[in-house]
Amino acid sequence: MKKTSIWFLLLIAVLTLSVVLAACGGAEEPAGTEEPAGTEEPAESSVPEVVKIGFFAPITGSNAAEGSAARNAFQMAIDEANASGEFPYEIQLIIVDDQSTESVAVSGANQIVSDPLAVAASGFWNSGPAAAASEVFKDAEIPLLIWGAIRESLTSPENYPYITRSAPTDKQENKPLAEKVLDEMGYKDWFIVSDTSSYGQGNLAAFTDELAARSITALGTETVQEDATDFSAVVAKIKDSGAKAVYCGSTVNIGSLLKEQLYSAGVTDILYCGISGMKTTDFFKIGAKAAEGALVVSPGIILEDSPEGQAFIEAYNTAGYSEPIGAYTPYAYEAALIILNALRACGDAPTPEAMVDAILNSETTGIMGTTTFNEIGQTTNVAAYLNVAQDGAWVPLEDSEYAAGARTFGGQ
Amino acid sequence: MSFFLDLIVSAILLGCTYTLVAIGFSLFFGVMDVVVFCCGDIAIFGTFAILGSYTIMQGLGVIQSWPLLFIILSLLVIGAVICALLGLFTYRLSIKPFERTSALMPLLSTIAMGIVIKEVIGLFFMPATNGLSRLFAGANAVTVVSGRNPQGFPSLLSLGGSTDVRDAIIVAVTIGILLLLFIFLNKTKAGLAMQAISQNKELSMMTGINVHRSIILTFVIGGVILAIGGFLLGNYQTVMSFDNGAMFGVKGFSAAVVGGLRNTWGAILGGMLLAFVEVFISGYVGTAYSSIVAFIVVVIFIIFKPEGIIGEKTVEKV
Repeated sequence: MKKTSIWFLLLIAVLTLSVVLAACGGAEEPAGTEEPAGTEEPAESSVPEVVKIGFFAPITGSNAAEGSAARNAFQMAIDEANASGEFPYEIQLIIVDDQSTESVAVSGANQIVSDPLAVAASGFWNSGPAAAASEVFKDAEIPLLIWGAIRESLTSPENYPYITRSAPTDKQENKPLAEKVLDEMGYKDWFIVSDTSSYGQGNLAAFTDELAARSITALGTETVQEDATDFSAVVAKIKDSGAKAVYCGSTVNIGSLLKEQLYSAGVTDILYCGISGMKTTDFFKIGAKAAEGALVVSPGIILEDSPEGQAFIEAYNTAGYSEPIGAYTPYAYEAALIILNALRACGDAPTPEAMVDAILNSETTGIMGTTTFNEIGQTTNVAAYLNVAQDGAWVPLEDSEYAAGARTFGGQ
Repeated sequence: MSFFLDLIVSAILLGCTYTLVAIGFSLFFGVMDVVVFCCGDIAIFGTFAILGSYTIMQGLGVIQSWPLLFIILSLLVIGAVICALLGLFTYRLSIKPFERTSALMPLLSTIAMGIVIKEVIGLFFMPATNGLSRLFAGANAVTVVSGRNPQGFPSLLSLGGSTDVRDAIIVAVTIGILLLLFIFLNKTKAGLAMQAISQNKELSMMTGINVHRSIILTFVIGGVILAIGGFLLGNYQTVMSFDNGAMFGVKGFSAAVVGGLRNTWGAILGGMLLAFVEVFISGYVGTAYSSIVAFIVVVIFIIFKPEGIIGEKTVEKV
């Protein structure tokens, strides 16, 4: 073969590797922003005509179901505030589709902090983009309220006072799941699957800690690439390990495909459980039969059980959004309520400096109780409940046929 | 079944999907001497074309009333026609204009075409499917939500709910396509012409072979094979995303390089080798390392055996 051909093939190999690395890290595309038309410069009078709030969510990509629903809920709260006439200015959103990608999140964060009308931001379902954008907001001294990313270190003394979070951490989410499946149901033979993202690694650490606290060692642990789609080798390992329960600390894409491939391989007599990242309607794209019996933890409370929650569901459904309410949709709505509360506390001319204190000191009673923040900016309002996949839908465990004894989980 | 046998079965199934894309690369490279880097995206376009057609047919009530075999054949025909047209479109737009330029030009233009195809799926799958569904089925229309979300692919090959049947069909269809391709390339005038062009384009033209017609035919056949590959992948994977094409294409291309970029049979060997490396590394080392090791194998082949497993060494006299 000609030497030039070898160099040509090597060049293609380099291109190939760059495509692989890009795929592993997510697509590098410019931030997709949706900004309503409005004034670009601050008004000269003391009361501005427009105040802007940044909002981040993965509106496209494999996590789009959760991100789009969160965007809808956040927008709904802001629209309600604008329609009420309570604020002397119009609140506008700068919506950034972060595509679950760090570089896109940073690009969007830079756009928000460079806008003189922006006084605060809220966002993130993925911990990686949240961590990357947090640095931008800290440097610009603009407050960021996280509504959905759960890596524990996102709220810390180092990030205080600019970064706050109204959602629970990965440890807080995994704890009630562990108490149920380890203490109450008594599973001891575990196989753990997570992905290489910070979300996956955080959940892996949190659940492994829960096992270790009970002197249980997993029969196997597997970390898969974020863009993996073929889990046949993992399924073979699970079968070979003799595990009675599988924990998946990943998002819906990996969580649903792994469940389907276990089902296809005939591994049905096994408990399949995981974290809130899987609790979206996209999980059921693998089919109701394959999804049946998956047990996931969801943050917050069962909305149907409270009048405020019912009102939120009704308002969301009345608005006619095509994306159904996901695990973190209420948290996005609550985040908007917290920011609106802070805006109220800042009077007629909110500034980023004033908003930092206003958010930290806020006490907001929303659809899931009263949210305040502790000494590192983490919410004190922690709640979680379990859901099971039953006949193609997520059902609160306590209301399900599994709790009633009509159906049983595998591996028991 | 033992762990080892499980891995072998998994590797064969994965290898089948890689092989079909690798054949696309080999066919195009053999006849055109260019790497058509958007093969994976063409295959995924086929997957989504089939999925969209299935959704429309659901609204029309066809899925409920037609025999399953007829439904599958109809969907395959639709996917094959669309992918063949897309193959021709790719040739006309991103290869033909660069015929007399450096080989890098069509490589870059087909990478760009892959991005265009991916974004077209992401942006237009939902409006196109829902629009056509409402046009044909009216009030009974079945619609999809977003084109950028992962989409569930119907398990058409899991007859009686058995994935063993599905897996057997995937292997059988792949072997069937390879046999048909073998017969076409070796027993028909058009196939022999394609092989002649692959070996020496100038001499083929001098002997009266219509090179342009052979190129068109290559893109049509390649498009059809990629559509079938996309259909099998959809059935195997069950959930597909509009951006699956890049990685699928990279794996197919790597398989073609390992096997011998100009050799169709090398594509089979390369596809299987890559799949076996991936699956066994996943099984015995760790899933996170499978792609890394697979691509290290590709680089080793490029350095030490650049002609591929069964590619022929060419010697250039100076």
